[in-house]
Amino acid sequence: MSTNPGSGLPETGKGGGARAVSRPWWLGLAVIALGGVCLYGSTSLAQSARYSSIGPGLFVTIAGGGLVILGVMLLVQIARGEQFEPQDAEDAAGDMKANPVALGTALVAVLLPIFTIETLGLPITAMLSFTLVARSFSSRKLLLDLVYGAILGTAAWFLFSGLGLQLGAFLPIAGF
Amino acid sequence: MNFKKALLPLAMFAALATGAAQAQVSVMLPANPGGGWDGTGRQAMQAMIDAGIYSGGVNFTNTGGAGGTIGLAEFKNSQSGKADALAIFGAITVGAIDMNKSPISLADFRPVARLTTEYDVIAVKADSPYQTLAEFVAALKADPGGTAVGGGSAGGVDQIALALLAQAGDVPVNDLNYIPQASGAETVTGIINGTLVAGFSGVSEFAQFAEQGRIRILGVTAPERLAGIDAPTFKEAGYDVEVGNWRGVLGSPNMPDDNYAVWVENFKKLNESEQWHKVLETQGWAQNYLGGAEFGQFIADETVRIGAVLKDVGLVD
Amino acid sequence: MQSFELLLQGFSVALQPTNLMWALLGSILGTAIGVLPGIGPALTIALLLPVTISVAPTSAFIMFAGVLYGAMYGGSTTSILINTPGESGSMMTALEGNKMARTGRGAAALATAAIGSFVAGTIATLLLTFAAPVIAEIAFYFKPADYFALIILAFTSVAVVMGSSRVRGFISLFIGLALGVVGIDKMTGAARLTFGVPGLFDGIELTVVLVSLFAVGEILYVASRYRPGAGDTTALKGQTWMTKEDWKRSWKPWLRGTALGFPMGALPAGGSEIPTMLSYTLERKLSKHSEEFGHGAIEGVAGPEAANNAAAAGMLVPLLTLGLPTSATAAVLLAAFQNYGLQPGPFLFTSNPELIWGLIASLYIGNVMLLVLNLPLVGIWVKLLLIPRPQLYAGILVFAMIGIWGLSGQVIDLIVMVTVGIVGYVMRVYDFPIAPVLIGLILGPMAEVQLRTALAAAQGNPVVLVSTPLSAIMLVIAALFLLAPIVLNRLKANA
Repeated sequence: MSTNPGSGLPETGKGGGARAVSRPWWLGLAVIALGGVCLYGSTSLAQSARYSSIGPGLFVTIAGGGLVILGVMLLVQIARGEQFEPQDAEDAAGDMKANPVALGTALVAVLLPIFTIETLGLPITAMLSFTLVARSFSSRKLLLDLVYGAILGTAAWFLFSGLGLQLGAFLPIAGF
Repeated sequence: MNFKKALLPLAMFAALATGAAQAQVSVMLPANPGGGWDGTGRQAMQAMIDAGIYSGGVNFTNTGGAGGTIGLAEFKNSQSGKADALAIFGAITVGAIDMNKSPISLADFRPVARLTTEYDVIAVKADSPYQTLAEFVAALKADPGGTAVGGGSAGGVDQIALALLAQAGDVPVNDLNYIPQASGAETVTGIINGTLVAGFSGVSEFAQFAEQGRIRILGVTAPERLAGIDAPTFKEAGYDVEVGNWRGVLGSPNMPDDNYAVWVENFKKLNESEQWHKVLETQGWAQNYLGGAEFGQFIADETVRIGAVLKDVGLVD
Repeated sequence: MQSFELLLQGFSVALQPTNLMWALLGSILGTAIGVLPGIGPALTIALLLPVTISVAPTSAFIMFAGVLYGAMYGGSTTSILINTPGESGSMMTALEGNKMARTGRGAAALATAAIGSFVAGTIATLLLTFAAPVIAEIAFYFKPADYFALIILAFTSVAVVMGSSRVRGFISLFIGLALGVVGIDKMTGAARLTFGVPGLFDGIELTVVLVSLFAVGEILYVASRYRPGAGDTTALKGQTWMTKEDWKRSWKPWLRGTALGFPMGALPAGGSEIPTMLSYTLERKLSKHSEEFGHGAIEGVAGPEAANNAAAAGMLVPLLTLGLPTSATAAVLLAAFQNYGLQPGPFLFTSNPELIWGLIASLYIGNVMLLVLNLPLVGIWVKLLLIPRPQLYAGILVFAMIGIWGLSGQVIDLIVMVTVGIVGYVMRVYDFPIAPVLIGLILGPMAEVQLRTALAAAQGNPVVLVSTPLSAIMLVIAALFLLAPIVLNRLKANA
């Protein structure tokens, strides 16, 4: 729920690589916007209560107010030229520029289940997401990945459905 | 040691691992674990299985809070139109929907069966100065704010029982200091450690702690005294209050008619089964069955009745 | 020493071949389902409840004991190896454990987790055997003010996971706090920040945030900056076992973690999150190698893992001695007891000693069994990291998805997964720490409920918050913890 403010995510590609010139104002603005959403939500809530003093709105106000203040502080830091060093991960180089195609492919893999899980079912969704992620990691064995994904998805579906988890039908669109 | 017997676990594992096709009903328990709805749902389904009425698996989900409206909202969200999806709910839900201005309506769901009515009890700590209900009400009148009372979620039967008791005892209802607790376990510990001066809950959640001598039950909201509970009814104590915490089963919104008919029938059979009678006895629940369409009518009437009570006591404007 | 004799009898029950098979089955099932992110012991045992129709109570409970420990162990394995904690209790394990795995010390991390769990489980079971009635009483001792102080104390753990910038650390924390207030307010029924979306009424599911921030954010981030071959070789470098040094650095954290976890597990509003956070903080403060924290310090795995396991055993104390369920898992176990017409509590010890002592004995056996099963498996688990990176990350996503989908079956949770995953990506790119989000999300709502309850009972008088000795002491410790470094620095500067 936290990124709905138009924060211009795709811009992040530049953030990591470009050094001193990078001024990601949108980060501070996004934090302020998030705080604003909380403050807006708190206006309809009681701030105090008869005996506990603390109403349902107080914590919302604190969280929202805190975010707004911190967002402003972040903007000040950015104005002063705060550096953002991308974190180092095992297989990723923090000083590398983001590869938009790979990121896009991975994002599609993550988004896909929202649209397919209730129609195509878990095994096929797993197969497609698996292949897309593998591809975003520059795997070129398309067919093999499809097979791996299908096996993993199917095996997991049988095992965990058998254990009683509700994973939906095998292929809902076909009715089984 | 019987060799075959030793292999049973292995056989079970094999059956599980190969995903032996088994019917599965999901049952929403819209309360935190350890509470009354939790027990009702689990015990009813178990008795149904024991009695051979239902033979599939049961998948319980506990989603507590706000008198069941959170759980029922999730139930409506996730299970609409599903064939085998049930939810436990009760009188508390009726009030909570009003209180919370919840967008769900009990008419959204398919009424399957009312199963029990459990009566409320009020308890104080074992070494509390209040020996009788009248003494407690006097204290409530003298200092309503300083007499913190705990119980289930806001607008539920516990709070209604307190409000009605207060009304009957000429205590201004608006001054009551009622603190909703997340679970019966927390109400019990709150009474015992002194955070709460008194607490309301169903008989089944308090009985064993009274038996252990940790709390003292001052009164019961039933029309007659309850077996095994050494306490008068509110009426006997001079307060004309009778509140039942009925519990029932709802089917998913738009549950297919065939499945609906099966579940109404299943619970009817359950109500007549030996296994269920045994559960009722061990849990101290009073049988109070009503099925299908009749239950639907009852829910509609109760929505009006409880709504009026909430208004009378000033919980809803 | 009557307990001791009864315990011996319990062992004679638990050691029967059938019951050993049940314990083994439980451990395997628990581990298998524990590796699914988000699916914990409570759900696993609930799923297995129908078993209680066909099996004798003793056997069923022996199996459940195995499931309980197995699921906990499965969760720590995924935290360490693929940085995907499945439950809130193993979140702190991921912080150091995964860093260890990435520097070729995955086996040592898994081993210290397994042995730490074993040590904690054994001590906890001993305490359960000989001191359960006494320990159970603390469930009644803790007042809302005590819980509030305890939660504030746990909040100080934020300080040690702040990362490089205070502003960004606090932004993470406040994002977590904001996420935590979403949903219907439990005290008044008011809808907060739900914006009319019914899927948000019950709040944002913690495990969804946990899995999305860690696993999904990581997948997106690494995919965008993937350098083939960079990490493939490190996984299996180094020793496959704990060194003497590792043992030396692990044993104290194991004991301290147990001491924190066991009593807090026995509290009605306790759980495993607070002790694991406190244990992590404590180890970081006490360690002579505090500079290694954040880069793979073994104490940061040993302590929280022991605390997590001890909390699981602690929860059995009020359940067995009082019939008071203090967690979801305990409530499911209570339901299992009731299915057999048994009511846990002081009376069960006299009416069904064979069952109770058989169960307690099987906790010992389950512990040993998991150790025996898992230590040889450590080598095999670590080989997971030999899977080529594209397929490994693809598999992680599939498992994360199954866990989130299987938990609720709601598409809204998959939408939350993507949204939080993108936030996790941005946080990695701009170097925001992840852990404070979760600390805010977990502790924020707990603190709010206890604070409001405490104040309501005291009619708004804030003095109640320091009215018990325990609450006062814990708040002072929290204040000292935050202020001491500042004061020390100032003294040094003056000197």
